[in-house]
Amino acid sequence: MATQLLASHICKQYGRTHILEDVNLAVEAGEVVALTGENGAGKTTLMRISAGLLRADSGTVQVGGRLGYCPQIPGLFELLTADDHLVMFGRGCGLSREEALSRGHAILGEFDYPLHERAATQDLSGGTRQKLNLALALLGDPSLLLLDEPYQGFDRGTYVNFWDHCQNWRRQGKAVVVVTHMLAELERVDRVVELAAHPSRAHHRGVR
Amino acid sequence: MRVFIMTEMHGRDLTRRHVAIGLLVALPLSFYLASAGSGTSSVSAGGVGMAFAVSGAALFSILSSREVDQRLVLTGYRPVELLLGRLLFLGPLGLLISGLFSLLMALLSQPDRPWVMALGVALVALESVPFGLAVGAVVPQELEGTLVLIGVIGLQLAVRTDSTVSKLLPFYGPRKVLAASLEPQGRIAVPVLETAVYALALLIIARVFMSRRVNIERHDLLG
Repeated sequence: MATQLLASHICKQYGRTHILEDVNLAVEAGEVVALTGENGAGKTTLMRISAGLLRADSGTVQVGGRLGYCPQIPGLFELLTADDHLVMFGRGCGLSREEALSRGHAILGEFDYPLHERAATQDLSGGTRQKLNLALALLGDPSLLLLDEPYQGFDRGTYVNFWDHCQNWRRQGKAVVVVTHMLAELERVDRVVELAAHPSRAHHRGVR
Repeated sequence: MRVFIMTEMHGRDLTRRHVAIGLLVALPLSFYLASAGSGTSSVSAGGVGMAFAVSGAALFSILSSREVDQRLVLTGYRPVELLLGRLLFLGPLGLLISGLFSLLMALLSQPDRPWVMALGVALVALESVPFGLAVGAVVPQELEGTLVLIGVIGLQLAVRTDSTVSKLLPFYGPRKVLAASLEPQGRIAVPVLETAVYALALLIIARVFMSRRVNIERHDLLG
């Protein structure tokens, strides 16, 4: 299997606070990795650096192909609809309007998104917004998925469905990194990477 | 083209903000009507009110979507496309409002050269867009941006047109054109050129800071 994410010797500090110190993370195609750690351990920072949204103080990141990033807090235009977002994000991925809507609706349908809903995102529930947030990350058919607690606000059924989808993405050969605190689901991933909240943070322990 | 998608989406976003649209028209109108009948100052006040409204809209279009913008760049947009998308919507919108507003001012203030006044108001509207975009790209948050807008535009209104401070501020050129509209003669080519140069400089500032703000690391590919 080809490596899809290789983050090497990542260091990051904010002011005098060291967030990440010499962190390494490698994820293969067809692998689901859970990124865990206590609050402030640097999980989101590592995800943002891996996605390219944040610059590491030192270290390198290499990726195997297109990446999809689902942030913890959905960054959406409050007065645009789901379709507006699909068209806008799809265009960035090189999709036509029709392709973006068709592919986006298929993804949203898999997560039981109310497709008849034409409301602006500000009027959607937290879980529904999060489904859209996740769909936007998947729209470009990425080979590497970086998901920062993507199930916030999901109801029980959608939450279980999400982890089932992780298995599907694994079978499709995607590399998936999920930031999670849900210890009950760790048996559903291939590997758990725990970021500790002190120097020399990276501890890896295999689950499978 | 991706720029036009951004134009379309910003258009949809703003046109769904009904209160904001109302204020875009009401703000310059109230500035103008409050000082109507006082000759040069009422025309200047109307023009400056237009600057508050349009540059405010441009400022918030940048600052309210910071997180989304970076994510859009991650999907493949270039920062300049995000900027141009806004410009292509806000520019024509500003011109539309300025056209309606000029009509009203021409009727009430009866300037010697109505078309010069319309040109001055249009210049205010057009320059307000890059001004708001530049401020939005430079400052970190809405509050700071709003204070900068109030400070700069307020100062422009407070100082005498021919003062040194006025010449350094962005709406000096349009203000000269507006003043010239109240006289039968007066050159307007130089202030129009000054406005164009200032607007271009503001656009460059917006471009540079926008790129820095939403820039992402393009990682090397494995293998």
